[in-house]
Amino acid sequence: MTKSDIYTKMSEAIVAGDRQAARALAEEAVRSGFDLLEVVEQGYMPGIQRVGALWEQGEYFLPELITSAEAMKSAMAVLNPELNRREGANRAGARVVIGTVEGDIHDIGKNLVASMLQAGGFEVTDLGVDVKLERFIEAADAAGAGLICLSALLTTTMSNQRRFLDLLKERGLRNKYKVLVGGAPASRKWAEEIGADGFAENAVAAVKVAKALAGLA
Amino acid sequence: MIIPLFDLVRRRTVLFDGAIGTELMARGLGLGVPPEVWNAEKPDLVREVHAAYFEAGADIVSTNSFGGTPLKLAAHGLENRAFALNRTAARLAREAAPSGRFVAGSLGPTGKFLEPQGPATEAELAAAYAEQARALVEGGVDVLIIETQYDLREALAALRGVQSVSPLPVFVTMTFGATPRGYFTIMGDPAARAAAELEQAGAAAVGANCTLTSEQMVGCVRVLRAATTLPVIAQANAGQPVQLPDGGFGYSQSIEEYVRHVPDIVAAGAGFVGGCCGTNPAHIRAMARIIHRKEQT
Repeated sequence: MTKSDIYTKMSEAIVAGDRQAARALAEEAVRSGFDLLEVVEQGYMPGIQRVGALWEQGEYFLPELITSAEAMKSAMAVLNPELNRREGANRAGARVVIGTVEGDIHDIGKNLVASMLQAGGFEVTDLGVDVKLERFIEAADAAGAGLICLSALLTTTMSNQRRFLDLLKERGLRNKYKVLVGGAPASRKWAEEIGADGFAENAVAAVKVAKALAGLA
Repeated sequence: MIIPLFDLVRRRTVLFDGAIGTELMARGLGLGVPPEVWNAEKPDLVREVHAAYFEAGADIVSTNSFGGTPLKLAAHGLENRAFALNRTAARLAREAAPSGRFVAGSLGPTGKFLEPQGPATEAELAAAYAEQARALVEGGVDVLIIETQYDLREALAALRGVQSVSPLPVFVTMTFGATPRGYFTIMGDPAARAAAELEQAGAAAVGANCTLTSEQMVGCVRVLRAATTLPVIAQANAGQPVQLPDGGFGYSQSIEEYVRHVPDIVAAGAGFVGGCCGTNPAHIRAMARIIHRKEQT
């Protein structure tokens, strides 16, 4: 099997949501001494991008998206430790802290974004729901994350996204982190108005925006 | 009690209420406080919201128990109060209902994903809905309405759960998005299949609520109408949430735009019509005028 055949198989495993195949191929790549960044970029990433496209076209739905993200995660679980060992500090920009803002317990969208970010190669710290604004800063600091993602499903709780940005400014930390906002009531206009760095309409778009913000796109 | 409701929907469009949570927030419900708590703490205000909808012309209102399954209340550590909060929810709506009007016991999604996407089992979900339904029935509802479902498997489990504890009619609404290929839940259930399977499983009425604007709802009702012989329920959102110039939030459809599509929703075959996010008693009042005008012609 040529390298390009293997990359095609990796992509197919993700599109099919085949966790075992995705993992086995990753193990094979490690054993064979492949360039693992290339494996991620040319093998797995095209798969998850295809999944995103199928979802945007209305061919794939949440179950497929979740299953594919899980397959991606199982491959990344094999590749990440190796990548960290080989690449070391170069990968520090790809850490993300995510959570649903205080007062809001909705987690489906947030979980999906977290999964897709993980699938997209980010190291994700998921703080869960009803997260105190302070806690995002503490966690980002502890994890060494450069990107903070705030989810809110309600028009009444999205004001906490604004409060978070105000809090960062108060602390003189605004330039330390990139802030991405999302959730049903959020919009590009809202993100601009509160001074967030990015907004994503859905989980697939969130990965694109996060990559652009992290300088990976 | 029940027969008159089904008689009524054979004769004319039956009007549901609109949003409850935002009405309670307008009366001071705090951020992060589950609305169901107010059934115990602010019963007068909950009753006042129901009364406002009845006064606006609603034939039937939904109880303040959307997030009232024990599974959902557990997120707030309130699972042990589930039965009491739901029973009170039903009583408050009942007390607000003028004679000859109706109360639907609201049961919303648990927020848990079923296996293999999540940890929940169908039996677990059915049990949670059963527990909530028992309390709503004891509180005096006329029908039960399983609402805003995004997974047909959960909706069917909910229906089984509710049927296991009550002989009352059970309505089921699901939330569909408009895609280039038609109307689907986020889990990929097509509207037509959802309606057919829910009818097969013994639902008394099926429909769509949330997400869709009143304009998009027209097409969805047409699909549902073609797929089932049951009465169809349509409760559209007033568009999408938008930020208002004053910094607050509103919805993209004005009342005028929202109600402009109501005659089309009715013509497409909806028997029960009401509002969802972004609607308030003013919307219901405007819808009542349209429905009653139609009745006279």
